[in-house]
Amino acid sequence: MASNVSIDSQLLAKSDGYQNIETTEQQALESLHHEPKPEEGGDRGEVFMQLLGKLSDHDAFYFGAYKICDLPKIYYDEGLDVFMNTEQALASGKYLVEEHHGHKQIVKASTGMPPALDLSITNFVLFQWFAIFICAFLFKKVAGAYKKNPGKAPKGLQNAIETVILYVRDEIVRPNIPSRKAADFLLPYFMSLFFFILAMNLLGLIPGAHTPTGAIAVTATLAVTAFFVINITAMKVSGVGAWFHHLLGGAPWWLAFIMVPIEIIGLLVKPFALTIRLFANMTAGHVILLSLLGVLFFFNSVALSPAITAFSLFIYALELLVAFIQAYLFTILTSIFVGLAIGSHGDHEHGHEQHAH
Amino acid sequence: MDATALAFLAAGLGAGFTVFGAGMGIGRLASAALEASGRQPEAAGDIRTTMIIAAALIEGVAMFAAVICLLLAIK
Repeated sequence: MASNVSIDSQLLAKSDGYQNIETTEQQALESLHHEPKPEEGGDRGEVFMQLLGKLSDHDAFYFGAYKICDLPKIYYDEGLDVFMNTEQALASGKYLVEEHHGHKQIVKASTGMPPALDLSITNFVLFQWFAIFICAFLFKKVAGAYKKNPGKAPKGLQNAIETVILYVRDEIVRPNIPSRKAADFLLPYFMSLFFFILAMNLLGLIPGAHTPTGAIAVTATLAVTAFFVINITAMKVSGVGAWFHHLLGGAPWWLAFIMVPIEIIGLLVKPFALTIRLFANMTAGHVILLSLLGVLFFFNSVALSPAITAFSLFIYALELLVAFIQAYLFTILTSIFVGLAIGSHGDHEHGHEQHAH
Repeated sequence: MDATALAFLAAGLGAGFTVFGAGMGIGRLASAALEASGRQPEAAGDIRTTMIIAAALIEGVAMFAAVICLLLAIK
């Protein structure tokens, strides 16, 4: 990166057909907050690009196109810098906004590189907190209901949540993890995983809200957690020696130079596939919805609106289905991977348990 | 054709091939699952679960391609 960032970003903007040629810092700052509204007679192909921008993360709390409040920016690069919003970060002179292929990025003014550690509270982080809050609130309430009338049949919200909890326990976790002890030990993790992903997916379906699972960083973090859960469980249940032996894939020792790299790739591909699957599914639905709405802006006609409304509603219903399916899939695939990693070293109790409920 | 036009062309063609492949895959999977649950209706629940998992794996591969197409289109 060149040290003179503003000139660099101007050159980039000139070479890129989608950006305005005059990209001063002030304009870059404004467009960091909200994409400019499509102008009359402007390039209509740009509408789609602007709509796509809505899917990405924002540096302030947005609900739809409306900015609710600023969020703090926290950077760590040779000392902690905390600002109340982006304007303050830029006013301090330490940071600049750089534009790169239409993607705006905060960089250090002295080096032209992004800060070493960006711990800023972004829009997606906030929506993740909402998901955590919803989950915690629901489960606190359900747990309270069990304490209040123990031994009685559940009713209302308690009943609804219990159905899902039992489904996760009896249909997802216990049948797929051969060791009953490990399954029950990991049950809270799988419950949190399922309800957290479900809450995040469903949050994105509220008009104006954003889906944190549409950010690859969120899904990657979930998958990295799953990676550690899979391998640490395998090491604990079947032993570290067996885990290393598993890297041979059952082949004779002299094939190790082929098998070990393949098995290591196999270990890493699982969380990678989990990451991309959840991210792409949540993003794809939103892209389709935005494309349909983009058609309205493209043709500028009222006659199309009934058809677009019908299609959008259909896709919305499909997304509702996908939100549940993806939460289910992430959970069941993680539990299948745990089961595979444990292998046949489990305590073989599950055979008659599967049909007991 | 400049690079941007080629990128758009690649994205469009790629999306088309992706849909073709994923449609073939999920279609065959669904037909096999329907046949299986027709032969053994008592195993329909298990077959459905396995089918959804396999469909998700196929969809995952298709989504890899879709992400690449998306990256090409917004390049």
